[in-house]
Amino acid sequence: MPETVLTTVPAGWAALAGIVLCTLAFFAAALDSALSARAEGAGRGGWLAPAWSTARLLRQRRRTVVAADTLLLRVGAAGMLVGSFLMVAVIPLGRWTLADLDVGVVWFNTVDVMVWALVWLAGWGANSVHGLVGGYRFLAHGLAYELPLMFALVAPAIAAGSLRVGDAAGAQDRLWFVVWMPVAFVIFLVGVTGFSVWGPFAAALGADVAGGVLAELSGVDRLVMQAGRYAFLAAGAAFSVPLFLGGGAGPFLPEWAWVAVKTVAVLAVLVWLRRKLPVFRPDRFLEIGWVVLLPAAVAQDLVVSLVVVWKG
Amino acid sequence: MGLTDALAGLALRATRVLVVEAPGQWPTRVVLEEKMLRRGWRPAWTPGDADVLAVCGVPGPELAQLVERLWEQMPGPRVRAAVTSPTAVTSALNEAAALLLDTPAHRTDARERAQKPQIPAVMDHGGHGEMGNHGMDHSGMNHGGHGGMDHSSHGGMDHGDTDQPLSGDEDHQNMDHSGTDHGGHGGMDHSSHGGMDMAPEGIPLAQGGEDRDGLGVDVLHLPLGPVLPFWPAGLVLHCSLQGDVVIDADAAVVDGGSHGVGIRSRHSGLVPAAAVRCDNLVALLALVGTQDLAARARSARDALLRGDRAGPQRAVERLHRVVRRSIILRWSLRGVLPLTPADLERHSLPDRCLGDAYDRLLSLVERVRAEVNGANPGAPVGTERVPWDVVPHLVTGLEIGTVRLAVASLDLDPFPAVHEVGHA
Amino acid sequence: MYSGIVAMALMAVFAVVFLYALHRLTAVAASPVEVLPAQSGWMPQEHALSRFHVRWYMASIVFLAFDVEMLFMYPWAVIVIERGLSAVVEMFLFLGALLVAVVWAWREGAFRWA
Repeated sequence: MPETVLTTVPAGWAALAGIVLCTLAFFAAALDSALSARAEGAGRGGWLAPAWSTARLLRQRRRTVVAADTLLLRVGAAGMLVGSFLMVAVIPLGRWTLADLDVGVVWFNTVDVMVWALVWLAGWGANSVHGLVGGYRFLAHGLAYELPLMFALVAPAIAAGSLRVGDAAGAQDRLWFVVWMPVAFVIFLVGVTGFSVWGPFAAALGADVAGGVLAELSGVDRLVMQAGRYAFLAAGAAFSVPLFLGGGAGPFLPEWAWVAVKTVAVLAVLVWLRRKLPVFRPDRFLEIGWVVLLPAAVAQDLVVSLVVVWKG
Repeated sequence: MGLTDALAGLALRATRVLVVEAPGQWPTRVVLEEKMLRRGWRPAWTPGDADVLAVCGVPGPELAQLVERLWEQMPGPRVRAAVTSPTAVTSALNEAAALLLDTPAHRTDARERAQKPQIPAVMDHGGHGEMGNHGMDHSGMNHGGHGGMDHSSHGGMDHGDTDQPLSGDEDHQNMDHSGTDHGGHGGMDHSSHGGMDMAPEGIPLAQGGEDRDGLGVDVLHLPLGPVLPFWPAGLVLHCSLQGDVVIDADAAVVDGGSHGVGIRSRHSGLVPAAAVRCDNLVALLALVGTQDLAARARSARDALLRGDRAGPQRAVERLHRVVRRSIILRWSLRGVLPLTPADLERHSLPDRCLGDAYDRLLSLVERVRAEVNGANPGAPVGTERVPWDVVPHLVTGLEIGTVRLAVASLDLDPFPAVHEVGHA
Repeated sequence: MYSGIVAMALMAVFAVVFLYALHRLTAVAASPVEVLPAQSGWMPQEHALSRFHVRWYMASIVFLAFDVEMLFMYPWAVIVIERGLSAVVEMFLFLGALLVAVVWAWREGAFRWA
């Protein structure tokens, strides 16, 4: 079994981790605006547009719908931001980590399942039909992507013989997991897109339901929910690095820099995909999730465990 | 104050506009969208996300009331822009931008506006518990017969003295419902709509109805339109939902369709049919969620309106290639509202509606392509049109996202344009 | 071990509280305005909070069966190397049985709506 070489840093470094996460989230939003502006031929609104949107939402008043369950609504909206912070706690930045849990992979899974509740709460709490439909749409998507995601998470854990995130990264010194478990990697990214309510999985926020879960949010409520989505996307991309992309491994640069570079690369691909893919309709994707992704993920786990046993 | 002004200045660059298109104001809306984009302003999908409420054209009484409610739903800072014609767009946007920066005025507005919405005292008369009944005392009236879902009684009942002209149901008389069978909902029990205890904050709780499996599930009423992203201007589809399934729908035209202005009357020259088609293409592609394709169709539309030819030709050519080859687009749209030749005949739909939404998307792109290339002048806007009153029959029983795709795939013509341009 | 997670949670709560506090200062009004739900300007006929017809309830039951299975999957992943082939055979026989159930549910139309 590979040795853990991670150093757990004092809790005070959480401030830095938070800043890094927010920077990554801003990068994702900025890249998305830049791509949008280019595709649409907008006269204005490139890389800095997220800053302007933030200013706009900070200036905008909050609103509540008549008889809305504001507590649930706000828990849902702000919870997205909180959840993404919890997720990055177990992601090692090169050699350092904030929390070296021996069940780090399960922790990631736990937090991503929380999103089910958060998105649904935000949709339900608004007391608006659009939000309600959006919230339930997300659950339908969740039913389709969550199980394949769980099985995809198990694949690196089998190969590393550990649920510790650092062990998974350390077990890839010869060959990155992405090379011999590509199916798990792709399904993992599908899951990340799913729990970030991003791109193909943004049916809960779709144009066809006038924004769905976001339809009634304004001001800072909207800001935290949107920021939370980008932060989750960034956290998911960052988690793929120790799990599939060899962690900090790489020539010349220090380990933390490689983690950053790989995270940004994965994040950029996820952001770019949004404009290219249609929104997966929940009713159609359910079948894909169960009939294609789930067996594929199980088969991947089988292959991985056979290889592991064979190499003994 | 410097900081506040700086914030306002930054916020201005990300302004979102809720666009209201009065029937007949297609050219104004399209120009508005283009000019907005040039400033980096984006459309808002709901009043909750909007800073500017831009009304294209002069709304009729019914639409005006809806606009008033939308205005009340905007969080603030909020600004109204009356865009009366395509040529007035730039000045209207400039004015809106200037007004948006006036933070003290917005603070005053936030303080002085109504902090709660006005809800009519009694709303417990089922399907009619809405619009147009303000100021009328219904408390003593027996509306039991309205039965929420049951619209079959429209023919026999005299609504003349209870419904004001603003009521959405008034428009039903313009639509042909004689062949509709709404009888299946007769089993719903709305008799319990009595006391105020069933109506927190003056709005009733949802009532149950049996779904197709015989389960008791609440019914919600959701009007789609007239102010909805990527929705044909002026069309209102009063839907009854169980979950996200539309179990019953009624179509109406806002203001009974009587208030629209012809598409040509304020615009010199004919709007190219290809541009109208392109705009419908934008709606369908945006609802599917393929952002880049929608953006391409939109820039082709704007270029066509500018009189450009070569640009749109290239764009449409590429669009055609992508749409034909995209497996995932096909997967999204296949099986959405499949129409057989018999269906077309029954609903008197044109041949281009044959097949499912993917077939119609392809046909739409191909027609745009033919028109842009000038190979075939194409049918002018308004011929072979899809009658709006057929829409409810087509979408009943579908999930709401599918309804949106189905409606967009029908390639409806902008409302009064049908008559004006079609005969030109 | 958990201090890092607690610290991150505190950071997150701080970020949210900071944004809400900042918003109080920068927004045109600190208090929310009460409005009607977005329905194209129409009056709502009832509250949206209601018994919602989820048409995927069959799928959610199949999901639960599988989800409980994940309870075994995570600890199992750790001991595959140790136990060797027998662990693999046992787990995938179990998963195979579950997948047969999925195929059956699929044929019954549990994953198809509408």
